[in-house]
Amino acid sequence: MNRNWTMVFVAGLFEISWVIGLKHAYNWWTWTLTAIAIGASMDLLIRASKRLPVGTTYAVFTGIGTAGTVVLEMALFDEPVSAAKLLLIALLLGGVIGLKTITQEKEAEPKGGRS
Amino acid sequence: MAWFCLVLSGLSEVIGVYGINRVNEKKGIQGYLILAAGFVLSLGLLSVAMRSISMGTAYAIWTGIGTVGSAVLGMLAFGESRDVRRLLFIGMVLAAAVGLKLIS
Repeated sequence: MNRNWTMVFVAGLFEISWVIGLKHAYNWWTWTLTAIAIGASMDLLIRASKRLPVGTTYAVFTGIGTAGTVVLEMALFDEPVSAAKLLLIALLLGGVIGLKTITQEKEAEPKGGRS
Repeated sequence: MAWFCLVLSGLSEVIGVYGINRVNEKKGIQGYLILAAGFVLSLGLLSVAMRSISMGTAYAIWTGIGTVGSAVLGMLAFGESRDVRRLLFIGMVLAAAVGLKLIS
């Protein structure tokens, strides 16, 4: 796991927290935390997209955010667990791992080549 | 009207993603402005669309347009890889994300 992919994953984790924040925040400090999480997830996504293709980082970021939110809502907010949800999460993980395996990183020069 | 807002909302998300790349390619505040304008507009339009379209459906379509749009934008505007495997894996992530939003 290298730096850039770690940043995409952590950006996804912050996304989960702000999606939950937008739904459940109830006072000034929960809203402040939500705003910080939005800023942090964007910042990490921008940095990761310096070296990784933005089409890939955005798909993975959205995917982790979605799957993570579903998992947490099942765990914390009593949403029902279903086989369909688990299967879709497995499909998503497969796609993310695949992307990580085949993606070539850009060198310091920002103009990327085709892999 | 709601569906029009929803499509516009997805497209604004792609503008936000364009802003991400712009921040990385050129110094200055412009990229951040495009990014913020794109995502704020996108969320605003999404919430308008959700007044008459159910939340799961609206989220799923919004995610779909945003993800596909970003991948297409990356390939057309930034010369990102068109490798079949890459498109397949992005498709898997996309199908899973859309599916999860539809059923949860």
